[in-house]
Amino acid sequence: MELVNVLVFGLVNSAVLALTAMGFSLTFGLSGVANFAHGGLYLLAGYTSWILANRLNLPFAVSAVLAVILAALLGALIYRLVLMPVRGIVLSEVIATFAVGVAILELFRWMGFVTYEFNLRPFVKGSVEIAGVAVDYQRILIIGIGLVLAAGLWYFTRRTRIGLALRGMAQDEYTALSVGIESDWAAALSLALGAGLAAVAALSILPLGIISINIGYDVLLIALAVTVLGGLESTTGLVAGAFILGYAMTFTSTYLGPQWMEAVYMAAIVLVLAVKPSGLFGKSKELEERV
Amino acid sequence: MKRLLLAARFIFLAAVLVIGAAACGGKDEKKAAPIVIGVPTALGSIEGADSLRAVQLAVEEINAKGGVSVKGEKRPLAVVSIDTREHEPGIPVTDALAAVDKLIAEKKPNAILVGAFRSEVLLSSMDLVAKHKIPYITTIAMTPDFQKKVKEDYNKYKYMFRMCLNAPYLVNYLSRTMGFVGKEFNFKKAYIIVQDVLWAKGTGSGLEKWLKDNGWEVVGFDAYPTGASDFSSSLGKAKAGGAQVIVPIFDMPQSGILLKQARAMKVPALMAGFISPAAPGSAWKTFEGEVEGLVNLLFEIGPMPVKAVPRSVQFHESYTKKYGQEMGAKLSGHGPGPSYDAVYVLAGAIEKAGTLEADALAAAIKATDMEGVIGRIKFSDDHQVVYDVNPKEAAIGAVFQWKAPGVRVPVFPETAAEGKIELPPYMKN
Repeated sequence: MELVNVLVFGLVNSAVLALTAMGFSLTFGLSGVANFAHGGLYLLAGYTSWILANRLNLPFAVSAVLAVILAALLGALIYRLVLMPVRGIVLSEVIATFAVGVAILELFRWMGFVTYEFNLRPFVKGSVEIAGVAVDYQRILIIGIGLVLAAGLWYFTRRTRIGLALRGMAQDEYTALSVGIESDWAAALSLALGAGLAAVAALSILPLGIISINIGYDVLLIALAVTVLGGLESTTGLVAGAFILGYAMTFTSTYLGPQWMEAVYMAAIVLVLAVKPSGLFGKSKELEERV
Repeated sequence: MKRLLLAARFIFLAAVLVIGAAACGGKDEKKAAPIVIGVPTALGSIEGADSLRAVQLAVEEINAKGGVSVKGEKRPLAVVSIDTREHEPGIPVTDALAAVDKLIAEKKPNAILVGAFRSEVLLSSMDLVAKHKIPYITTIAMTPDFQKKVKEDYNKYKYMFRMCLNAPYLVNYLSRTMGFVGKEFNFKKAYIIVQDVLWAKGTGSGLEKWLKDNGWEVVGFDAYPTGASDFSSSLGKAKAGGAQVIVPIFDMPQSGILLKQARAMKVPALMAGFISPAAPGSAWKTFEGEVEGLVNLLFEIGPMPVKAVPRSVQFHESYTKKYGQEMGAKLSGHGPGPSYDAVYVLAGAIEKAGTLEADALAAAIKATDMEGVIGRIKFSDDHQVVYDVNPKEAAIGAVFQWKAPGVRVPVFPETAAEGKIELPPYMKN
């Protein structure tokens, strides 16, 4: 029974990690920008939805859509206002986006969003038994949302003109420019898409717990761990990284104790960077590593 | 004529200025210097914020009556506070200590009330307080090591007192509750889930020992880091292991979600312990009724009015009147009662000692014997307020159970009980 529990919740945990890291991975894959404001945008969406639903009494669905739009717009704005002046200087990009993320999180702390009352309603209440283990519908929905988004993103980046343009830009910026693809527009769009995905992840995952500031910092670390483990620009790597970490964390929590869970993803970042910096499925640095 | 008028105006203005300045000066001379109370605590936590409000309420009440008499002179009380942020994950003890140091250096408080939120910070700040010789009444941090340190080097730490429940008293209340539950429902299997902090782990270990000594099987014991919000692995193990009672011990905001997750995972066990967000009267609404059946401890009474202690009813009414119905309903189950009482203990000690000198004040605080919001207040030799079950003889905490349609029913101790522990609906089917 305990093993079944681990298998079922390991799967859910993996889906949660994949969904959490999807926006971060997509932005990096399309524009090469490591958006360290990811955690801030994630939490911004959660708090925005809560404020709209509880203070302005809007229906949850409306509050969720508005939260996703706001996060996406803010993502594009971050590129236009913060990243454009430092575009191409990787360290400056990281510092600038990290500063924006911290500013968002600490603004909410300053506004008093620190108690237990900030929680989002699940999309559907109740639970279902899978192999004798009760799993709430929200967790099952997270798996579904993760699958739909992964398929949708695959289609978008491979079958649509905009997606192909973005991929072209990611592969070779100068060639893409020569055929009329504007790099700033493409990068802003990738930031907006990543931020929108962070918002969708927040609205799906946050109903499992409460909205608290430290989640913003944890989300950034988890996104980093998953993408570093799987390979920074690889979709297959993202899924593989999420599954490896998801099951490792669930096993650790069950058999060693929940207090060791955080150590798993921190150790993953350190180990992968030390042994195989390109990650399990990353390609861009493989040549450098061999040299 | 014009010159005369001008001179008259000048003389009039000068007279007004002189009289005004004299009046102001006179007022300043008459106004007694305030007695400064420092409150360095985790103001972002519900316990810290509510405790500060409770201190301010008591200060306003005392000031409305003219203040505190020091050698015949009435002096008002003033409160200065600083946020130590120690309840937040990742904030090191040194940061919290720096905040306390800043408050002492800049505001020069005559006494410190409420104080440390985390036991780790309390223990570390004891040397700082000893160095400055400031009377300090702590009302949130719970480690028994505090008393151990006071006893080991009494002269150094004699300025420090604790008015809230400590971990051994908490174990005592929890074990008595478990004793009742075991007898009433024939339960013998428990699962302990605690927050990975000193007081909670200490309480969990103490309870684990008591359970094993009394024939219980402890199916599991897990510690979660502060900030964690996914408890599914422990709940899964508790369900698989057939636990009949789950004992949660948490003071972090995220812990409230444990109840929702347990319901979603259909864990057929009674929840009995301490979940800080489930203690306030507003918790039923916040958690949409999913607190039903939870047996929760209020570390000190006051936040929940208990008829057997009229001062607790009076405190609750005054607090609600000053801060509003919503804030009254959100009052935390740990901190506000003793924090409010601490102001009266300090004021009484100052009047008794007739001075603000630390040694005399510490001796007067130690000799306190008064009826408070938390019951009868008396300090033991190691500077801990004595807690037991009779509010006429000692301070008391209270165990209550959430029952439909959203009422907290005190069930223990018998002197304060207004009902009995019942199995929640999901265990009756």
